[in-house]
Amino acid sequence: MDATSRRLTVLGFYLLAVFLPLGLTLEALHALKVPVYLEDTLRRELWTLAHAHGNLLGIVCLLIGANGERLIREEQRRRFVARWLTVGAVTMPLGFLLGGVLNAEGDPSLFILLVPAGGLALLAALVRAAWGVKD
Amino acid sequence: MSRHPLLLLALLSSPALVVWEMSHGFDPAAMRAAEPMAHRKGGYVGSDVCLSCHPSQHASWERTFHRTMNQIASPETVLGHFDGERVEFFGDWARPHRDGERFVIEIPTGDGGRRVAEVALCVGSRRYQQYFEEVDLPAGSRLERLPLVWHIEADRWMHMNGVFLEPDNEDWDVHRSNWNRNCVFCHTTGPMPGMREGVQTAFETGVAELGISCEACHGPGGEHARDYRNPLIRYAAHMDIGDGGGGADLVHPPRLDAQRESAVCGQCHGQRLPANLADLITWLDTGPSFRPGERLENHVTPVTRETPSVRASSPDLFSQRFWGDGTPRLTAHEYQGLKASPCFEGGQFSCGKCHTMHGGDPHGMIEEEMRGDQACLQCHGEIGADIPAHTFHKKESAGSRCLECHMPRIVYGVLEIHRSHQVEIPDAARDAEAGRPHACTLCHLDRSLDWAAQELDRLWGDGRGDYPSPSERLDGAPLSMPDGVASLLSGDAVQRAVYAAASGNPNGAAWNQGFLRVHLLVALGDAYPAIRWLAKRSLLALEGRMASGIGESLAAWEHDADPIERVAQLRKLIGMLVQKAPASLRPAADRAAAFLIGEDLSPMMQEISALLDLQSERVISIGE
Repeated sequence: MDATSRRLTVLGFYLLAVFLPLGLTLEALHALKVPVYLEDTLRRELWTLAHAHGNLLGIVCLLIGANGERLIREEQRRRFVARWLTVGAVTMPLGFLLGGVLNAEGDPSLFILLVPAGGLALLAALVRAAWGVKD
Repeated sequence: MSRHPLLLLALLSSPALVVWEMSHGFDPAAMRAAEPMAHRKGGYVGSDVCLSCHPSQHASWERTFHRTMNQIASPETVLGHFDGERVEFFGDWARPHRDGERFVIEIPTGDGGRRVAEVALCVGSRRYQQYFEEVDLPAGSRLERLPLVWHIEADRWMHMNGVFLEPDNEDWDVHRSNWNRNCVFCHTTGPMPGMREGVQTAFETGVAELGISCEACHGPGGEHARDYRNPLIRYAAHMDIGDGGGGADLVHPPRLDAQRESAVCGQCHGQRLPANLADLITWLDTGPSFRPGERLENHVTPVTRETPSVRASSPDLFSQRFWGDGTPRLTAHEYQGLKASPCFEGGQFSCGKCHTMHGGDPHGMIEEEMRGDQACLQCHGEIGADIPAHTFHKKESAGSRCLECHMPRIVYGVLEIHRSHQVEIPDAARDAEAGRPHACTLCHLDRSLDWAAQELDRLWGDGRGDYPSPSERLDGAPLSMPDGVASLLSGDAVQRAVYAAASGNPNGAAWNQGFLRVHLLVALGDAYPAIRWLAKRSLLALEGRMASGIGESLAAWEHDADPIERVAQLRKLIGMLVQKAPASLRPAADRAAAFLIGEDLSPMMQEISALLDLQSERVISIGE
């Protein structure tokens, strides 16, 4: 496993380490019927999305870390994909999570801007990876 | 090894962030608790707290008019057209308009001047919406009613003086009443009027919720919500383990006995006084003491016809809300009617037998089938097998509908006539002597109470005399006269209002007889604006079924216009009817005089005036 793949694998584990406990925390808030969470539907949605995206992107990082060298043979292209996947996998779930922190009624906080930024980064990684597989 | 602290940090980061946000971030419940007037005393927590566990019940409540009974004025809650158009009334005017985000009404001050009043609170959202301004005082404040109301169905402004049942009154401020010591008791949840000691006009009012919300019927929910946050208690209750987890339960009205279940509704739909009148002062500070699940009569005495007035200036304050036999004739006395019903004696009859708070039509809080025979057939099923055998009317006719005879529309409220909630058997003698409308002649408007008594005895009494003939009418009109005519002309104000509304029933037994239009036109000259309003509405309904040529002019006629112009237009309307009415509306020569009209539909004014003179001199003044 080269350094790029190893970094992606580590990132994948860290994403799971952050966003799996988030899921457990949200379940606890449901179990305890904590009004400040349950009554703010926007915050509930944002944090649920953060939990889902964080874990899903963590698994993507683990998969690409494990199989990147086989799927994308060109080193430079693989580094590009890893860089933008890292940016997207961190900023997108973080944007959802922080969008639900210090938010006003009916609107997420400005951290939500991390979400489209992360989305663009993931798109760039995806396109570059797809071309790499084709090559 | 160097990664372990970092991994630990990662594992703890999101839970720590969530916990921090929970304690420092936006809290919807806290925001609502901080809204104007909101309190969280006495265990009340507000409906938002119920949402997380009871979303479907919350949603079914949210669509009701109970929720929107009181609302802070805002573009989302104000229904009236604040468009800057003048609204004229008795030679003066008001002008509802917007001032930026504010809703304001320019109104006369009574001394020739004008002022601008800002709407702070809206009351009502179904039939009409009233507006209140906040008056700041050194010891507190109070909300005072403004003179204009927005009639939702008619889509127009009206003056308050025209929506209560009382004679024309040019005083713009006669209904400038105090919300904090009146409306707050029934139009909010968990009211605490907060009357300042020694200053009976100043208040620091608090409510658990503006509007009738969960806790009004289920009781204060603080303890229940706190206990049921514990999942062990919740799941023990779900699975019915032990004592259900031991959490504090709320009152579930359908599980109460009929008396206590009805009391939940009766706390508002049954006008009442504190059981101990001395408690009135306490009520004006900390609010009523009744809570759902309790016996209402342990806390209050529902008012009856015999209840002594508490206002020296109005000795008939309570008695005028009831017909002569004690049957309620004003809305918000349904609890009294229910309890006086023979059905109630069985111990099974309660509000919830017909009404539902979380289903059906929010207009009346009722399932559609309960608007019909099913309401009665759920207990009297044997009648349903052969309805005509019981009613002696065709199966499809209005005369075969249980509610038309046993819960007739004889109750005034909010510019409308409603069903009585005192289930009863029609009795012409009782009704004539009590001066109240009679179920048979509310449909058979061309028939007399004498006729009704004979028919009742023939059909339901087998001629045994179970249904005696009346000895006299309370209003003094001849017993042999068609009840529709006699009551419209000679009855007291509530009687006239009821018959003015009933005369417009396009499916009534007499809808196609011209005398109804003549006497409804006469009723357009009534001294009570609410009666004129109902009479006009009835005439328009009859015109809709069969045009007589007056429809267009009638629609343009305003019941609250300048009296001189109004009467002049009315004379023209009567002339138009005489001139244009089709032959089918004109009476047979031998029957005309019985209806006090000529063959050409011209009113016999001398005879009519004699009957108008019989109208009770007692001034009726009843609100909602």
